[in-house]
Amino acid sequence: MASALKTYGTLIGFVLVVLFFWIEIPDTFMTAKNWLNISQQVSMLAVVAFTMTIVMVMGDFDLSVGSMASLAGIVAALAFRDGHGVWVGVALALAVGLVGGLLNGALVAYVGILPFVATLGTLTVYSGLAFLVSGGKTIFGRDIPTAFSGFARSGISLTDTVSLPSLTIVAALVLLVVWFTLEQTTFGRRLYAIGGNKEAARLAGIRVRRLRFLAFGLSGLGAATAGLMYASRVASANPTQGSGLMLDAIAAVFLGMTMSEEGEPHVLATLVGVLILGVLGNGLTQMSIDSYVREVLIGSIIVLAVASSSLGKTKG
Amino acid sequence: MEGRRCRPPNWVLTMSLLSIQDLEKSFAGARALGGASLEVRAGEVHALMGENGAGKSTLIKVLAGVVKPDAGSIAIDGASVTIGSPADSLRLGLRFIHQELSVVPHLSVAENIFLGRDYPRRWGVMIDWDGLNRRAAAVLAGLGVNHIPPGRKMARLSVGDQMLVKIASAFQDASIDGGAPARLYVMDEPTAALSAEESQRLFAVIRRLRAAGAGIIYVSHRLDEVMELADRLTVLRDGATVATRDIAGLQKLEVIELMIGRRFAEGYPPRLAPVSSDVALSVEGLSTAYLQDVTFEVRKGEILGLAGLEGAGQSEVIRAIVGADGGHDGAVSLAGRPVKIEEPVSAWAKGLAFLPRERRQEGLVSSASIAGNVSLPHLDDLVRFGLVLDRAAEAEQAVDLGRKVKLKSKGPRQKVRELSGGNQQKVVFARAIAGSPDVLLLDEPTRGVDVGARYDIHALLRELTAEGKAVVLASSDLPELVYMADRIIVFRDGKVATTVSTEGLDQAGLAALCFGTPTAPSA
Repeated sequence: MASALKTYGTLIGFVLVVLFFWIEIPDTFMTAKNWLNISQQVSMLAVVAFTMTIVMVMGDFDLSVGSMASLAGIVAALAFRDGHGVWVGVALALAVGLVGGLLNGALVAYVGILPFVATLGTLTVYSGLAFLVSGGKTIFGRDIPTAFSGFARSGISLTDTVSLPSLTIVAALVLLVVWFTLEQTTFGRRLYAIGGNKEAARLAGIRVRRLRFLAFGLSGLGAATAGLMYASRVASANPTQGSGLMLDAIAAVFLGMTMSEEGEPHVLATLVGVLILGVLGNGLTQMSIDSYVREVLIGSIIVLAVASSSLGKTKG
Repeated sequence: MEGRRCRPPNWVLTMSLLSIQDLEKSFAGARALGGASLEVRAGEVHALMGENGAGKSTLIKVLAGVVKPDAGSIAIDGASVTIGSPADSLRLGLRFIHQELSVVPHLSVAENIFLGRDYPRRWGVMIDWDGLNRRAAAVLAGLGVNHIPPGRKMARLSVGDQMLVKIASAFQDASIDGGAPARLYVMDEPTAALSAEESQRLFAVIRRLRAAGAGIIYVSHRLDEVMELADRLTVLRDGATVATRDIAGLQKLEVIELMIGRRFAEGYPPRLAPVSSDVALSVEGLSTAYLQDVTFEVRKGEILGLAGLEGAGQSEVIRAIVGADGGHDGAVSLAGRPVKIEEPVSAWAKGLAFLPRERRQEGLVSSASIAGNVSLPHLDDLVRFGLVLDRAAEAEQAVDLGRKVKLKSKGPRQKVRELSGGNQQKVVFARAIAGSPDVLLLDEPTRGVDVGARYDIHALLRELTAEGKAVVLASSDLPELVYMADRIIVFRDGKVATTVSTEGLDQAGLAALCFGTPTAPSA
């Protein structure tokens, strides 16, 4: 019983949450349209959480992803305002994300600062930069090309009424890439070895520093991607719009980690964590329940999930 | 059973401060203690000697209340006691001084001495710092220590001075809050990290403690120290007490013989092939913070043993060669070609395999599978399309090598943490030989390994050398070195003390060389 709860507790919790909303909101919750809607709502969080999984596999954190998402959105919007095309803006934003992520990686891997402290510092720096370059103002309206904002509204029609949102497709692609990288490549295997035992990995000939450096780069790239998705979805960019992403992303990875026997993050488990957060948000909104209640619930669920997965671990 | 081991005579109980009789303790079937007895009198320094694995640490852990014995009795002042926890141990007046001290580095010397007790106050609330420092200075002076300012931060003290502060803390505690006074100090290798001068200061303090009527159990590998400081010594071998002797009139060689006993060459596989004349690895003038000008050569098909007391440099040589601790001075050549190795990754790439000393901390990723651990240094050879891990090939490699090292497992995907110590070590061995290296650098490869696995590992070493591989074997297991190695380098204080052939060498001879005993038979 205890061991079943340990491994499947989070999954059972997810099913219970889904069942609860299905019963409470019988007409609209369990519909294809609503699920596609959820998938779009969580797509940005999903991208951040998936790439966050890469650094958390090594036992590290990236706290700067939220402000990096904001900064990337601002950078793209500023490029649009200066008359650059969609692809120029997108490329610039992604480049900023990659460079910012690699900076985190350099601080952690080569300077030797704890990831918590290093990325707390860059969180503030990236946030400050976002305010600085935007003048603290939201960039919106005609500055944002319709080709960019239209992307988040587009999708592949499935039937007359429902379509698969483009943002969902982006998140699915990122999921595929991260899954492939972590689970199928030697790069991923080395990251898991670092997370399992850094010293043993180093002595067995793994370039621990280089890999940590690169992994943080990927996390920054994911954050910038999410920032672009967000900016496209709201057709605007402001220096705080990514700030909620970081805590939710770490929470999603943690929820996923409770599903692994070893307490290791896996990106498919992270997906379950993301869906739990997404379904809760969606269901509670439909039931017109205060969003603060959602926060209380999510916090409680994380604590419960981690507590149930630690059952029996403290004995002996 | 009779005559299997000799017991110390039954001392008059009224004289003894601590009396341990026939302690027994097994861990998961492996016997750590079986008939360990020890008697310490008030006002004596009693040395506890024995090889690694003889049971000294377990005995100390029993006294500290960390390990519960399976059988046997402990008496203090002739009254039988049970030490069920570290708190019990403290209450009974036992104090422990280890190499790794638990000090609070950011607090002052005085605060460390009075940690956890009431500080003197002013007006009931403010700490009376002057009063505290005065008291601390008085405690230190009581031990003859006058060179440590009580207000100085602990972190700024040398290890030796920190140890003196720690002893002072243990020494004074009785006078303050009426707890059990410190009666018995257990010092485990206290001088391991101390300079000669610091050691002398420590000895002066120990003599003061002895004069004050305390008992001191003194564990050390350094025979000279023991001969200088101790009044009596007790020798443990294979978990049992073999002798208790007065130091006066005792010869060093006698102690060594007591420690290692007489063992047989049986249980070691024979050499399969002669050593080649081609040099596989040569090291010239290797120097680091721990090593000074180490030079040697290993030939193909040769096992070169590295011997010495704990921390004499055997381990450090291996770590320096593979770049485990960063750069070093000196030259390393493989088969005559100079190589530059600053990180373990380049060591593996150049055909050097490394088996680290601490299996769990440095060797294994315990959350990963057998295959995942074996493949770690060789992942680049297991890649399809440039980046995809070929899992089938990885598993196949683990199965093949598992067979070669006689690994017992449920399959290549079993987690290594489910394996026994011996089988875990075989996984690390499988990793080492996976890339078909030219040279194997092995640091304590059979430590904590059961007899069967140990034989398998030795047999494997014979096979590997017959294939022409060179092996560097650092070990604290003297019989292993004597029977497995072709030549042995003995280290002392980070330097090569001597190099000997194992032909005609016995354990006592090797031990004497390690201890640096001048009367050693030359081999």
